[in-house]
This record gives sequence, structure tokens and C-alpha cells, in this order.
Amino acid sequence: MIDLLGQFENIRFYLVGPYPNGAIGGLSLNILLTVLAISFSFVFGALLGYSRLSCRLYIKLPCMAYIEIVRATPLIMIIFWMYFFLPYLVGGHATIFSSAVVSLSIYAAAYQAEIVRAGIIAVPRGQLEAALSTGMSRYGAMQHIILPQAFRIMIPSFVSFFVSLFKDTATVFIIGVIELTQAGIIISQRDPDKMYAAYLSMAIGFWCVCFTMSHLARRLEKKVGVFDLESIRPDACRDEFMLLPKQKKTGEGIEQSVVCAPDK
Amino acid sequence: MIKFIAANKWFKDRHVLKNINLEISKGEVIVICGPSGAGKSTLLRTINKLEPIDDGEIIVDGMYISDPRTDLTALRAEIGMVFQHFNLYPHKTAIKNITLAPRKVRGLSKKRAEERALKLLEKVGLDHRRDAFPVQLSGGEQQRVAIARSLAMEPKIMLFDEPTSALDPELINEVLEVMTSLAKEGMTMVVVTHEIGFAQKVADRVVFMNDGEIMEIGSPPDIFVNPHHERTKEFMSSVFHIPIFSESQEEE
Repeated sequence: MIDLLGQFENIRFYLVGPYPNGAIGGLSLNILLTVLAISFSFVFGALLGYSRLSCRLYIKLPCMAYIEIVRATPLIMIIFWMYFFLPYLVGGHATIFSSAVVSLSIYAAAYQAEIVRAGIIAVPRGQLEAALSTGMSRYGAMQHIILPQAFRIMIPSFVSFFVSLFKDTATVFIIGVIELTQAGIIISQRDPDKMYAAYLSMAIGFWCVCFTMSHLARRLEKKVGVFDLESIRPDACRDEFMLLPKQKKTGEGIEQSVVCAPDK
Repeated sequence: MIKFIAANKWFKDRHVLKNINLEISKGEVIVICGPSGAGKSTLLRTINKLEPIDDGEIIVDGMYISDPRTDLTALRAEIGMVFQHFNLYPHKTAIKNITLAPRKVRGLSKKRAEERALKLLEKVGLDHRRDAFPVQLSGGEQQRVAIARSLAMEPKIMLFDEPTSALDPELINEVLEVMTSLAKEGMTMVVVTHEIGFAQKVADRVVFMNDGEIMEIGSPPDIFVNPHHERTKEFMSSVFHIPIFSESQEEE
């Protein structure tokens, strides 16, 4: 425990890396990479997912190919491709930072495309028909009826994807980006006796950000999901779904195996 | 007002509409009945081209359905449609459900659209529920809002696709009452329904469909009480749960 507290002298390095003596790094870099990757891939991913729904093969097939190839490839492969192989193919030189951003964006776009596609097809078909039958154009129906509903459906998937993308930014340490993982490794190598403290600090750093993200998202869900409050109860527990023996109350009133009581 | 000329439609290999010829004049109330899978809903949905036909032609208010130059949104703006499952927009309140299309399609100001919506909500007896979301409304209330939503576009024709089939029995009447008053005002209506009572009271003509074909067209008594076709007789006796042509009646 004392050793963990000892890591406080390194806290600056965990948070911002070598900055201001070098490029920004540490946990801030993880956040920066996530934000950049999301911003670059959001529009692209949404377009991909939307086009993937087209019946026209010359639109649908390229989108499908992109999504299926990227989703079936480990992120680390994409990073290697962008950093080592692409510059070799096209010539020139890639910086580690731009390679990291580009590969994370490529990766994120494919997943976001699937989220967008699933969100749109989850809106019942009758909604489109109702909008069209009142004389609205397809564009208007999409804008006012389908997308607002699809967006609400997508929120939970987006959030869990953003959280996992944030964790995936740790992978780019492999090409030498000094983000939180790499920062931790550097510190642990400086003082191998306190290695476990360094690794614990990294974990705490990731946990704090992820936990905050999911917590904020839960509040967002509650706020925009007005029309379906019932389904959004992330804290609900449902013992009746558990494949466990039912809780028994003994004669003395001592409850056995009380894990969590179903809220009625 | 609506004219089907030898209209045909296939779903893959299945011939779902077989050579439909039907003319519906202005102000007429037509009830379409028949067993499930007979093509009643499909027939209704071809009128506003939610389902395109493969052969033949439908002329609605002078517009040719299968002509690619026909402005579909203009056509659909003139035709109101009410669905079995209401299809209200769940993320919008009752009044916003109603004002959306008049504002976006007809270009009405917010104030005028809301005035019109309130009048319609009053007409269907729901002016006190204007700010309720669809989940907060009962089935009957939702369907009445849906009717008001279609009427807000001031359509010339109203299509009803089994409007009471998804409702609890005690909520059916409130919807039928709204439809009856609409018919009295002279609205051209095409209604797919199993509500024989409504059909007898309101319909000018009843169309009996079976297996994609129009078997019989006639006044409600003609179809319900004295059907000519064997298949119609069979269907009617099962709908009324008791054989209409019992032996005692035939002896009389």
C-alpha cells in the first residue's frame, strides 16, 4: 500500500506523460486518442452503416466488405498495417501518433456502422409507413421519425463501444505511443521492485475513466429515453431469471443465500 | 375517386391480387372483408402505393399510381391511413404526432397546425390528452390520435387497415364511433375490418375477398345475409359463429 502511495510522485507521468518536455502522453493521451478516433469515425461509420442497408449491391457490397474485414481483424493487425505496412506500400513516413489515430478510426468506424445499422432496423417498419402515408418524404421520415428513435436505441451500444474503444487505446503502446500503459511500463522499468504498484496504478487510471463514462451514459439514457422508461432500469435485479435454487427462508427467519432480492 | 383497372400483384410466386377491378366514388364507404390472407390489407395498401402493383393501373383522384412521374408524396398527402397497430410516433406527444406532417408537408405555421390539431383532438374526444406520450394512452386513445393525425392533412380519402383488431373489446366502440361520424361527414373511406355491425350500419358497399380475388361486391345485406357465392356463405356463417342458413330458416 505504501508503495502504491509512492506512485504519487509519478502521477504527473501517468496523467500527461513526458509533457511539457515532450509530446503529451499518459492517460490524457488515451482520452485524446478516443475522442479523435470517435470524431473521425462517427460520420464515416454512420454513413457506412446507413449505406449497408441499401438494396443496391454496388453500394451495399463495398460497405459490407469493409465492415466484415475490419471486424474480423484484430486491432493490433490494423495498427501494424497502418504503421509498418502502409508506409512501405505507398512510401513516405508515418508518425506513431497519426498511425494510432488512423487505425483506431478505421477500427471504430466498422463497429459504429453495425451499431447504426442495428439501430435503424430496430425501429418498427410501421413507423416509416405511417410517416410516408401522411405524405412525408423518405428524407423527412428519416430525419423526424426514424433517426430520433434509432438514436435512442443506439445509445447503450454506443456507450459500451466507446468504453471498449477507450480500453483498446492501450493497444497502441505496441508502436511506442506513450499512453497510460506505456507510461506505466516505463515507470515499472525504472524501479522494478515496485512493478506491481505501477501496473495497479494503470488499472486504476483506466477504471476511473471507464466508470465515469458508463455512469454519465446511464444518466443520458434516462434523460432521452422518455418514451420507454420501463425498459431502462440498469440497476434492476431479476432473481427469477437466475438458474439457481429459490431462496429459502428457514424457520428461524434466517435468509439463506441472499444475493439480491428481486425488486417488486 | 379510386379506380382499380385489372390490378395484379405477386409476392415472389404468390399471386396476392388477382385481376382487381373496382371503382369507388366520392363519399362512398367501402368495407373489405374476407378471411386472413385474402389480400385485403394488400389491396388497401396499393391505393397509396405502400405496396406497388405489378400489373394494371390504379387511378386515385386523377393520379395514375404506376406512372413514375406521379408525385408520391402529393398523392399520399391526399390519402389518410390508419393502421392496425396505430404506429404513433413514440417519441412525440399526441399533439406533435398530429402537427408534424401538416408542418413539414403542408408548410403550416406551428400555431396554425396546433389549432387544427386541437380541433381534431376535440373531435375524437381527446383534447385533454394533448401532451400525453403514446405509451401513456390506452389502445383506443392511441387509435383515435392516429385517426386525428391522418385527418390533420385534410385528406380526400381515408384508408383503415383493421383499425380495431388490436384493441380490447371494450375500446372498440370509441374508435368505431369516430369512424361512423367521419362517414356521416361524407368522407370517402375504404375500411378493412371484421366489425360486421359497423359495416352494416355505415358501409355503402361491402367487398368480399378470398385468395386475392374479389368474390362479391354488394350492399351489406346482400353480402352478409344473402351471399351468392359458396365461399362467402361459408365465411359469413363462421364469422357470425352460428349458421345463418339454418334448416328452420330455409323451411320458412
